[in-house]
Amino acid sequence: MTESLIDAESAARVGTVVATASGEVNRRDWQRWAAAVGDHNPLWFDGEYARAHGYRDTICPPLFLQYAVLGVSELGDLRPDGSSGAVTGSLAFPRAPRRMAGGESTTFHLPAYHRDQIEMVRTVESIVEKEGRSGRFVLVTWRGEYRNQDRELLAEASMSMIARPA
Amino acid sequence: MTGQLCYEDVETGTAITPLTVSVSETQMFFFSAATYNGHRIHYDKDFARNVEGYDNVLVHGPLQAALLSRALTDWIGGDGRLVAFSVQNRAIAHPGQELTFGGVVTGKRITDGVAQVDLDIFCRRGDDVLMPGTATVALPLRGAR
Repeated sequence: MTESLIDAESAARVGTVVATASGEVNRRDWQRWAAAVGDHNPLWFDGEYARAHGYRDTICPPLFLQYAVLGVSELGDLRPDGSSGAVTGSLAFPRAPRRMAGGESTTFHLPAYHRDQIEMVRTVESIVEKEGRSGRFVLVTWRGEYRNQDRELLAEASMSMIARPA
Repeated sequence: MTGQLCYEDVETGTAITPLTVSVSETQMFFFSAATYNGHRIHYDKDFARNVEGYDNVLVHGPLQAALLSRALTDWIGGDGRLVAFSVQNRAIAHPGQELTFGGVVTGKRITDGVAQVDLDIFCRRGDDVLMPGTATVALPLRGAR
């Protein structure tokens, strides 16, 4: 029997809140993101256009919402691979240090606007070891809820990460 | 506005207008910056090759997802709304590779007056599906306009 890739400390985090984060939605930030994606949708850029389509102003691209709550990472606190543990609640997986995003699944309920104050609460939904084409890996799934300053639910997200042995 | 896609315009099997992109390293740098992502596999070639064993730096999964959502939100127009979006990272992509982002309608329904369309969506490189997924969008009804 080979040793599990999932250490006890990480396994104990299933079902717990691993991260709460808050942040302000910022138009310039989402427009920089949209520009990096080459996404020139006028809903993100043109207030007049957005108002003509039923919004009160330009709206935050749905997929950008997750970045509005990112905090500040000290360089000295980064993992050797340069990533920050802030998003994922610092789950480390010492036996599976090679990590990559697994996937994301989000239901969007309401748009976010410039200067909305967002709070995200993230819990670990599951941590399982799997066997893939390129060997064993750990699949971690989180659930997150995004609410604005009026406690309105903007989005519910499920995200996953894959961690592989070195 | 002309050209707004309506619920009546789509049927099961309708394909969204595909988007083809070859991601550049400059674009990857800006995406890392815009998402506050310091992960070295996206910009440090020595690290990507010698530590993680890849042929080159990797296109961000979230950038592939963002390009896929761009194809969708361009297709549904200003009166459409992205309701749900789900993708899985199945295979990696490197900069300079031609990627195609598209989707096909799998069903449609009107629930509580909201006209919704379900799709299978994908990021493809040639015949390889790098990122499969599903999405639901709300579209305006032509009669209601």
